[in-house]
Amino acid sequence: MELAWYALLGLFFAGYLVLGGYDYGVGLLLARGGPGTRRANLTALGPFFLGNEVWLVAFVGILFGAFPTLEGELLSGFYPVVVGALVGVILVTVGVQLRSRPSGQPARAGWDRVVVVGSALAASGWGGLLGGLLQGVPLHADGHVAGVTHLATPFVAATGLAMLALVAAHGATFLTLRLPAADAAVLGRLAGRLIPVAVTAVAAATALGLLSDRVRATAQQPPAAVLLPLSLVTALLVARVALARQQPGVAFAATGAALALPVALVGAVLWPAVLVSTVDPSATLTVAEAAASGPTLRLLGWLTIPLLPALLGFQAMCWWIFRGRTDGRAPVYW
Amino acid sequence: MDTLLLARLQFATTTSIHFLFVVVTLGLVTLLVGMQTAGFLTGNPTWERLTRFWGQLYVINYVLGIATGIVMEFQFGLNWSGLSRYVGNVFGAPLAIETLVAFFLESTFLGMWIFGWHRLRRGVHLALLWGVALTAYASAFWIMVANAWLQNPVGYEVRDGIAHLTDFGALLTNPTFGMAYGHVVAAALLTGGILMAAVSAWHLIRRTPDFLLFRTSLRIGLVTAAGAVTLVQGFGFAQFGPVGQVQPTKFGGTPAADALVTEWTARFGPGDYTPPVLSSVGLGFMILIGFTLGAVWLLLPLLWRDWIIRLRFPLWLIMLAVPLPFVAVVLGWIAREVGRQPWVAYGLLPTEQAVSRVDPGVMLASLIGFSLLLGALAVTNWVLLARHAARGAADPALGRPPGTPDDEPRPAPAFA
Repeated sequence: MELAWYALLGLFFAGYLVLGGYDYGVGLLLARGGPGTRRANLTALGPFFLGNEVWLVAFVGILFGAFPTLEGELLSGFYPVVVGALVGVILVTVGVQLRSRPSGQPARAGWDRVVVVGSALAASGWGGLLGGLLQGVPLHADGHVAGVTHLATPFVAATGLAMLALVAAHGATFLTLRLPAADAAVLGRLAGRLIPVAVTAVAAATALGLLSDRVRATAQQPPAAVLLPLSLVTALLVARVALARQQPGVAFAATGAALALPVALVGAVLWPAVLVSTVDPSATLTVAEAAASGPTLRLLGWLTIPLLPALLGFQAMCWWIFRGRTDGRAPVYW
Repeated sequence: MDTLLLARLQFATTTSIHFLFVVVTLGLVTLLVGMQTAGFLTGNPTWERLTRFWGQLYVINYVLGIATGIVMEFQFGLNWSGLSRYVGNVFGAPLAIETLVAFFLESTFLGMWIFGWHRLRRGVHLALLWGVALTAYASAFWIMVANAWLQNPVGYEVRDGIAHLTDFGALLTNPTFGMAYGHVVAAALLTGGILMAAVSAWHLIRRTPDFLLFRTSLRIGLVTAAGAVTLVQGFGFAQFGPVGQVQPTKFGGTPAADALVTEWTARFGPGDYTPPVLSSVGLGFMILIGFTLGAVWLLLPLLWRDWIIRLRFPLWLIMLAVPLPFVAVVLGWIAREVGRQPWVAYGLLPTEQAVSRVDPGVMLASLIGFSLLLGALAVTNWVLLARHAARGAADPALGRPPGTPDDEPRPAPAFA
């Protein structure tokens, strides 16, 4: 039962990185272009934006309900990166929704800069969190993670930057798929240029990981650790080819996979542990130990599992209603 | 400065700001459901205009509700990891249910509602708003279940120092839950009603266009506020009995409170087991505001032949009353939350054992950073709300027909 809940936890975090990922990617791209371009980008996000951000909230909800011990140590043990990501999430959430409420152009441009900064913080924060999990934490026998300086490593910085690059490429691919066909060629070239950047960032993070004793010692399942960068690079190359062939749908699926795969593979690399201790092997927290006790998981299962099809169904309804490229008739609000 | 005090200050700040926005969300969405449903049934375009105007204010207000809510959710793990460690098996369940069953759907529906004008069939569009409202109420329901458990832990047993769930039904029949939920929902309706009446009053005093529209929303706001204030008082006073029974130290001064303190001293060692005086002071002022707002009933007869508008001074009174419900909800929250100190889960887990083992410097930076960030965003949001409220119902961006020339025309080649 713990495994099923662990998979569900991963599903929601991966879903958040894929969906929230293109929000942040589009957010980063607000750094370029004139007022009209930026508004068009936000209109492309439009109806999906609110439904994307809640995947994060659901992820933390499952984390708290089904893995309370992990929740406490994960969030407090990774304090700076979690707070950084959280500030980013707030800036993006508020910035996107409020930027078009003032009518003056300078105020809107100011909010757009807020969204750019927020997107960068959110993406690099979540990347740093995944990197931090891969290099283990100073988890002591009393069950607490000591201090926050364990995060100050080149590897965490590299994974943060890699996530930033992945998200930017994903966002550009989303816009290629979503904006009017007239804009697609230019955006496709932009996305095509961002993908090699992402490949380089992933390669740099991989190299730093291989050089780090902590990362090598933390990997519980080395084959999954090898598969992680390989599958990421493969997905990115597929996206590059698809963009060159003007198949933005395929490219978007590939960049989406590049954001979902790290979650699945980080889980696999650490399995059966979830927080690997670098100071005391016996203190390592396994998935089974981190999970809530049986009655809680059963209750959550009875109450939430029957509703999962409805949750996903209403999200799918949103995607279906507002599918296709934006045009002059697309509702403009953000 | 110690980590405990800083973490408590941060929680108090975030919760208070969060609460100021969610009461408006919950109150306005109820009134919006009424307006859009009326428009759907009668086909009268005034209802659609009312829905768009108040819907826009609702959507702007909602932004800060989400932002502060996300901080709240993360804060449990960031600052209160002991809470998840010792009582997460029980306390985490209603929170997890809230995010999945309520908030996830609420936000999904709201996104479709905002962008669904002129795109969806009117019935579907209305159903989405009903979905937003019902999930908002469900959200408040589960959050109050979780909070009531902290006030009065039930349905658990402690094994190996950790609480395990034994009876989920007991969480729902918790004496600190039902009346408190009614109280909070009524307070939200009161706040929404007063706000709606006050914004309408401003337009009526200024004699802006749309007299009939704002006359309607003034009446809706006042009648809602009057009904809600009575419910607030009823649910409020009804709580004294059950809360006094399960939390004797909250109001203090009874033999039961003294007996409980003696018992705790024996079990947990000597300590200060009486809540700070702030909680009872807050309670007193909240009750005072509750009675003052009860005077809204005196304004209802003036609705006859629009005397309320012709006399003008009642409109000023309504506008002056706007801060009162906001102050009252924060005071009420302080009375409830500070009143359970020094416990995070009453009689089960002391607050000092729940706080994360984070360096005070890190906690201080987090407190200052989040307070400044959320405070600045809250003020910005209120300024935007005030401007949009003042702008009137001529052409809100929400529900603007597609193809309307926007203030930001799109250049022909967007990516040249």
